Amino acid sequence: MLQSRIICEAASWRAELKMKQNNTIKIRRKRIRIPAAAGRIYIVISLIVALFPIYWMINTSFKTEYEIYAKTPTLYPHTFTLDAYKYLLGETNFLNSMKNSLVVAAAVSLFSIMVAYPVAYTLARVKFKGRKVFSKAILFMYLLPTSVLYIPLYMLLAKLHLTNSIWGLAVIYPTFTLPYISWILIPHIADISRELEEAAEVDGCTRLQTMYRIVFPLAVPGIASTAIFTFAMCWGEYLYALVNLTSVDAQTFPVVISGLIFGDMPAWNQLMAAAVLAGIPIIIIYMLASSTLVGGRTAGGVKG
Amino acid sequence: MKSREVRNTKFAYKVNLPLIIFLGAVLVFPLLWGICVSFTNKTIGGEAHFTGLKNYEKLIGDPEYRRSIINTVRFTVLSIALKTVFGMFMALSLNQEFKGRNMVRALLMIPWTLPNIVVVYNWRWIFNSSGGIANYLLKSMHLIDRDLVWFGSAGLALFTVVVANVWRGTPFFGVSILAKLQTISKDYYEAADIDGANLFQKFRYITFPEVKDVTILSALMSTIWTINEFETVYLLTGGGPNGSTEVMNVYSYKTAMRSMMLGRGIAVAVLAMPVLMILIGLLTRRMLPEEK
Repeated sequence: MLQSRIICEAASWRAELKMKQNNTIKIRRKRIRIPAAAGRIYIVISLIVALFPIYWMINTSFKTEYEIYAKTPTLYPHTFTLDAYKYLLGETNFLNSMKNSLVVAAAVSLFSIMVAYPVAYTLARVKFKGRKVFSKAILFMYLLPTSVLYIPLYMLLAKLHLTNSIWGLAVIYPTFTLPYISWILIPHIADISRELEEAAEVDGCTRLQTMYRIVFPLAVPGIASTAIFTFAMCWGEYLYALVNLTSVDAQTFPVVISGLIFGDMPAWNQLMAAAVLAGIPIIIIYMLASSTLVGGRTAGGVKG
Repeated sequence: MKSREVRNTKFAYKVNLPLIIFLGAVLVFPLLWGICVSFTNKTIGGEAHFTGLKNYEKLIGDPEYRRSIINTVRFTVLSIALKTVFGMFMALSLNQEFKGRNMVRALLMIPWTLPNIVVVYNWRWIFNSSGGIANYLLKSMHLIDRDLVWFGSAGLALFTVVVANVWRGTPFFGVSILAKLQTISKDYYEAADIDGANLFQKFRYITFPEVKDVTILSALMSTIWTINEFETVYLLTGGGPNGSTEVMNVYSYKTAMRSMMLGRGIAVAVLAMPVLMILIGLLTRRMLPEEK
């Protein structure tokens, strides 16, 4: 389910940070030794299992409808064709639905960062009454699964006459993005040196100025990576979109993809083309982000 | 100093007000409203009348509901067990030094970064009975001699759902455990080497105690998501054949959106609440350790 990206990303970024730090400080650590050979074999198998389905998806998307049902599946498209993409982009609602997904995901990510950043900041830095209860509440909402909320939110949107508009989804999605960002950003902010803030305070900065002018720029790498994952969460969300959007114009791409399946012999090349178009951008963004953002942060020497 | 705390408190609530108002209106209020509706006969487009515990009685009396709970438990236990084991192996093998390790790590993360719907359709195509590569591979290895209808029998259908879920979820366990593995001091292992400990002993007495907490944390978290899994099942098998893979949320969706009984649909979620609360409570205690 969609919330399932959540904690792993944090762990992933931290693992990556650790690795990079290890590399930069040039500590050669002796790793735990499980027999190296067994480890390598496991890695090779894992790589095949992880990547083959993705290769198969790309492969299928360039085949003709005849070739995908060939008696012996072909390892590469013998007749290379862009028909599936042409059909998908020309004859279906897919392009428009990608645009809808993009607009919702971008708008929600921006809004959520703006609203949740102060929360993460105060939870990381400010001692205030009720902080423990507040952080518990945030954690609780962050763990609350969508399945508990989707029917009540459907009723809410119906009352607000927002079903069938992408803005209805823009109202719903912050219910998982806000707690997520508030929670995930806390360690990023807590890692920033306090000295700058103290200096700023001595110089007469207000708390608000400190929060936005001093800490925010330093937290940008963490915020950017969090924003990317927030975007990805909204981008692939299915259940809320399925329940709330029936008019074709407002549908996001997961709903349109699931609508492409009908009959006994669906055009799998088109479905896989849709999967490629929806999945590959996310993979590329993730790869770019994981190589530049975290590296930049470590290189920036936040920890001095 | 007292005035400073008061100022802090004022500041904190002032800047947190937008979030509190928003989530109050769109999360807390609908949640409570939903719980109230579960005691009514609210349908899509219909009026709500208070019916007491009738929804709950109907649910518990419904064999389809009871089967969906059993399916959910079976699916969750299987998935979590496999994800934990594979994730542990992934972390241990990635914790060794080798060339291109960061690249391999990023590649192994890919299944996790993909939108779930992409993952699900990918596997649905792989397991397709005509043209699917799974049947072809098994046949060419002479493990089967006739095409399997993967979505046509209860056991195979459950297998496909578990495969899709485990394929996407394993990297989460892998990286979480890996992050912890990298903090273990090499001194322990050197000491163990001097004492002549073997591989298994090192894992049992050094590695395992260190990663136990993070493994449990990941498993708890993943359990919450897996219990509430919807699209993997809904889009892969649709709950079939004959409801044999229908999990709780697919049942809830069918009740609320197909049969239009919103009240009863929410009641499914409310009945799952105690379990979720226990899981969330366990997690909260582990994630906020200083608050004991």
